[in-house]
Amino acid sequence: MTATWAWLVLLFPLLGSLTIGATFKVLPERTAGLIGISAIVAAFVCGILALIGLQGEPSESRHVASSLWEYANVGGLKIDLGIYVDPLSIFMVLVVTGVSSLIHIYSYSYMESDQGYHRFFSYLNFFVFSMLVLVLAGNFIMLIVGWALVGFASYALISYWYRRNTATKAGMKAFVINVVGDIGLYIAAILIFKNLGSVDYGTVFERAPEVFTTNEWEIVAICLCLLVGAFAKSAQMPFHTWLADAMEGPTPVSSLIHAATMVTAGVYLIARCHSLFELAPTAADVAAWVGLATLLIAGTIAIAVTDLKRIIAYSTMSQIGYMFVGVSIGAYSAGMFHLMTHAFFKALLFMAAGSFISAMANMQDIDKMKGFRKAMPFTAAMFIIGALALSGFPGTSGWFSKDEIIDFAHFRGGMYDWMWVGMLIGAFMTAIYSFRIIFRILPGPPCEEAEYLEQHGHVIHGEPKNPATGELEDTEVGYPGEEHHIAEQAGGMKFAMAVLGVLALIGGLLQIPGVDDVITKFLEPTFENSVFAHMHPSTEDSWIGLGEGALISIAGIATAWLLYIKRPDLPVKFRQRFSAIYTLCVNKWYGDEIVDFLIVNPVKAFGRFCNRIFERFAIDGATTGVAGLTRSAGAAVRDLQSGLLRGYAVLMLFGILAIAVYFLIRSI
Amino acid sequence: MDIEWYLVLSALLFATGFLGVMIRRNPVVILLCLELMLSAGALALLAFSRMLGNQDAQVFVLIVLVVAACEVVVGLGLVVAMYRRRLPLDVDEVKELKG
Amino acid sequence: MSFDAPTIDYAGLSPVIALTVGLVVIVLAAVFDSVRRFGPALALLTYAVTAGCLIWQWNANLDLVSGSLRIDGLAVTLSLLAVIAAAVAVLLAIGDPSETQAGRSDWLALLTGSLLGMVILAQATSMLTFFVGLELLSIPLYALCGTNLRRRESLESGLKYLIVGSVGSATLLYGLAMIYGASGATGFQAISDGLQAGDGMLSDSLTLVGVGMVAVGLAFKVSIAPFHQWTPDVYQGAPTPVTAFMAVATKAAAFAVFIRFFLVALGPLADQWDVMLAALAALSIVVGNVGALAQTSLKRMLGYSGVAQAGYMLAGIVTATQAGVDALVFYLAAYVAMNVAAFAVVVIRERQNGFSDDISTLRGLGREKPLLAWPLTIAMLALAGLPPTAGFIGKLYLIEALVDDDWTWLAVMIAIGTMISLGYYLRVVATLWMSPAGQAEAGAEIDTASLPPQIAGAQADPFEDSRADRRWYLVAPALIATAAALFFGVIPQPLVDFAQHAGDALSVWIS
Repeated sequence: MTATWAWLVLLFPLLGSLTIGATFKVLPERTAGLIGISAIVAAFVCGILALIGLQGEPSESRHVASSLWEYANVGGLKIDLGIYVDPLSIFMVLVVTGVSSLIHIYSYSYMESDQGYHRFFSYLNFFVFSMLVLVLAGNFIMLIVGWALVGFASYALISYWYRRNTATKAGMKAFVINVVGDIGLYIAAILIFKNLGSVDYGTVFERAPEVFTTNEWEIVAICLCLLVGAFAKSAQMPFHTWLADAMEGPTPVSSLIHAATMVTAGVYLIARCHSLFELAPTAADVAAWVGLATLLIAGTIAIAVTDLKRIIAYSTMSQIGYMFVGVSIGAYSAGMFHLMTHAFFKALLFMAAGSFISAMANMQDIDKMKGFRKAMPFTAAMFIIGALALSGFPGTSGWFSKDEIIDFAHFRGGMYDWMWVGMLIGAFMTAIYSFRIIFRILPGPPCEEAEYLEQHGHVIHGEPKNPATGELEDTEVGYPGEEHHIAEQAGGMKFAMAVLGVLALIGGLLQIPGVDDVITKFLEPTFENSVFAHMHPSTEDSWIGLGEGALISIAGIATAWLLYIKRPDLPVKFRQRFSAIYTLCVNKWYGDEIVDFLIVNPVKAFGRFCNRIFERFAIDGATTGVAGLTRSAGAAVRDLQSGLLRGYAVLMLFGILAIAVYFLIRSI
Repeated sequence: MDIEWYLVLSALLFATGFLGVMIRRNPVVILLCLELMLSAGALALLAFSRMLGNQDAQVFVLIVLVVAACEVVVGLGLVVAMYRRRLPLDVDEVKELKG
Repeated sequence: MSFDAPTIDYAGLSPVIALTVGLVVIVLAAVFDSVRRFGPALALLTYAVTAGCLIWQWNANLDLVSGSLRIDGLAVTLSLLAVIAAAVAVLLAIGDPSETQAGRSDWLALLTGSLLGMVILAQATSMLTFFVGLELLSIPLYALCGTNLRRRESLESGLKYLIVGSVGSATLLYGLAMIYGASGATGFQAISDGLQAGDGMLSDSLTLVGVGMVAVGLAFKVSIAPFHQWTPDVYQGAPTPVTAFMAVATKAAAFAVFIRFFLVALGPLADQWDVMLAALAALSIVVGNVGALAQTSLKRMLGYSGVAQAGYMLAGIVTATQAGVDALVFYLAAYVAMNVAAFAVVVIRERQNGFSDDISTLRGLGREKPLLAWPLTIAMLALAGLPPTAGFIGKLYLIEALVDDDWTWLAVMIAIGTMISLGYYLRVVATLWMSPAGQAEAGAEIDTASLPPQIAGAQADPFEDSRADRRWYLVAPALIATAAALFFGVIPQPLVDFAQHAGDALSVWIS
């Protein structure tokens, strides 16, 4: 029965997407939205029913593999169209469908005046479907399918306003980087099959300890390839540059895909493959260090940049860094717990940010926002709740989850103590940048837009300009619409935010050390064969850790208050004094430039070189990176294709001679 | 007599034919060169057939001759069609399709 | 006086007989005005009977006509693919300028003749039938390419194909002669025996150069780089129904004999030729994919893509294993579905658009005519090898077969080629769906200058048909092929069995 419910979880979003996509000419917009919402809610309900079914089993047999039919069977590789239901996948299903339901409800109002309402909901449902395939996959091939579909859905949604140059470029960038990750996964799957003779989760995880010895190079290679996929999808260094640009998508998309669900897929992957990573501690350490580096670097960037959505995006990278550290050092349930609470508060923050941005007529610069406290009290309250949870304020969900990871690093000691220190510093920065936003946009005299909203009761209608480039937008299609929607005035948005607000506040109560530990107990069957299964800090240590976390969080908030309210001159002075560091941060540590320098530019140069050889014929020359190279090669091929028959004959002669010479040499 | 002589002659025929395809511009002459290439293959077959003393290839050669004739018929048909459309009978001028 | 006539198994020969009879009837029908218009029906009937005979002989496994033909799984499956392609070509050609100008029955007779060549080629087990089949396949095709007499491109493509193809045939013949000289036999099995029996023949330079020249000749037919150069030109210039037929059926038949000749006759030499074929496959993948990138003509792009796809398929032969052959046949079957879907849409669009196959004329099709846009979209996605389409499964099987046989580098080439190919396949999809219909006219106006003069001319084309997208005989192939490409992507098992049936036929010769 459990498996049936799990299949239904997959079915509803797919049906929803297809229905909306197929009937976009017929159905009124609102109905499409309702279909979208109900598909996801139905999936959520099925997820809960599957959960109930699963909990009915004894804990040692709490996993179900189910296959619809055999997809392919070749060369010993048997691929089932199969799913694998266990506490971990159900946990992810519930987080994904739960948050998605709320975001669908939010979008129902937020996207009201958009020109592509149907398209949006069709894509969004498709995304949820893909994500669920990824989560429920029963073997590595299905995982790759889900992984690729999610990448595609993300591309479609980032480029949703496709008339915006910046949006389509951002979409392509995200897609390309994600494809690099996909290749990592492909290679990992091939290696797994070669070594273990199967790609089914059950068989692979069972056989791996028999086949591999700890840290054997092959298992390390497999895990590193998996990590390439994980890093790319979860925007960890050095694959992080796409996430900030992905903020070109509509706010609900940023909230759902680029905060709550898709970007956490890498964390899920590591947790899912924990038995492989435990055989390759080196790879796990790589993941942990990369996570740590990302969380620190992204944290510093978040303090420096001024674009509201980008700050939150960098914060997302940073928080996912925490999760990576968590699942890589063995704190599986803590990592997953942080994944859940992060989904709550980060989605909430994005929703609130979307509201502010609407009120500013699509302006996203926090330097220009001021005094929204009175104009948008509800949004402001929700934003504060989200920020408190993000910075780990005592009692909120983020406090419990983040500090559990940090504690675990300290508990493992040794080299991990360095991570512990790093994560504490990260936590301090988190508190600073979260409250930097709040102190910038809420208090003080209202800015023009806020004042207008207060007095007239509706938002200013700005020029339809692209906030990134200032270009006037094509308003016919691919444009957010004239009307701006803010939570204060739209029921759906208000409802979704309120629910998430409550969850962000009290979600942590699920896992109070020594009191309930719901998440740990629930996930136990998945991780029971792990070497870390029964290692955890004592209750006292946990509370000490929580105490430290509380202090750091409050200290961070206080620092932010000092910097941005009490002594606003300090940041300016700091900027002047340490202009190098500031420039580094504000330029996102030159992530894009480094990638350009190391990869894009050399390839480009080579492409240009090739181009010059064929200069006589080459058309427009190289554009970017690999594309330039392939295009030059394409130009060369097309130049050879001169249309001259006698030229063809010459090339044929070369071909024949080459083959003849090859064989003559072989025969000697 | 050594079979090499026949093989060398056939290789020369083949090369001449190929060279002709590469350097001549009149499609009719190119068709002739194609015939030469096919004949080269036929000659080699015959030589080997004599050497090996079995007749399989001799039947083959007869069929090759027929096939060669068919090819020329279609080729000449196309040339005539081009001529009637006042298209230049020069393969270097026939290069609309390229790139 | 009496003599021993060779025993002929008429049941096994029935597909060839059926086609021959049909061919004669079609030619005769050309004489009588009153039956001329039933030409397509006659042709379809012939193909249906042929297909029936093939299915009747599904489990046959025997030599025919003193061992010059052999009907077995490989022959039956690949002949069936060719017959399907021919039937589609007949439907797509109804009302096509080439068919009308050439005289309908003549056009159909040429097509049927070419198909007969393919069926013979798929069954060939001796050099003689090999060469005859190949020429019977090619010569009518040369003529078919030139049948759109009023278009200069059509004649040009016919002439180019003829000359390049004949060079290929001559090279092949020369190679065959050398192999004959080395092995002293013309039958495939006998060649294999002769090569193994002869002293040092397996590495003799005469044999090897012969192998190389045969490979070149076949590479011409299946458009493997660097012998591919006719492909884009001919695909673009030939009448689209002919292109569709050529793209699909030629590949099926030529690969059938490619498999048979290299795995049966030259099987003992596998260690000698595998690297060469692998190199050719890799080169084709690169050249085809990068060549397709910046094309503006859809047919031309499909031509280059055909080069790349031939490279993928050739990789299946490189392995010289049954898994490789299975994968190749599977890929061929999928390729039939994807290409038929794509070309059917091209035919419809051409008739509505003054015979322009420029990609920009597809703009906004998704909104205006989703029934046309979907088949093309799915065909492109399938050609690109994205799930859940048959193209994806096909690539998966190929890669699997390659990796299993330690040709990982070639598998990686396929993966890289696939990534490059996204660049042009997705561009078509993007053009279909992303641009609004309002821009279509504006785009078309600008492009007029770059179009060939007879299209840019203001004269109304007598063959234009604004209602082409309502004609069942054009739309049905597109929809059915699309459905097949999707269906076998989700439930591949039936097609896997089909492909394995082909591979099983060779189980005596390969592992």
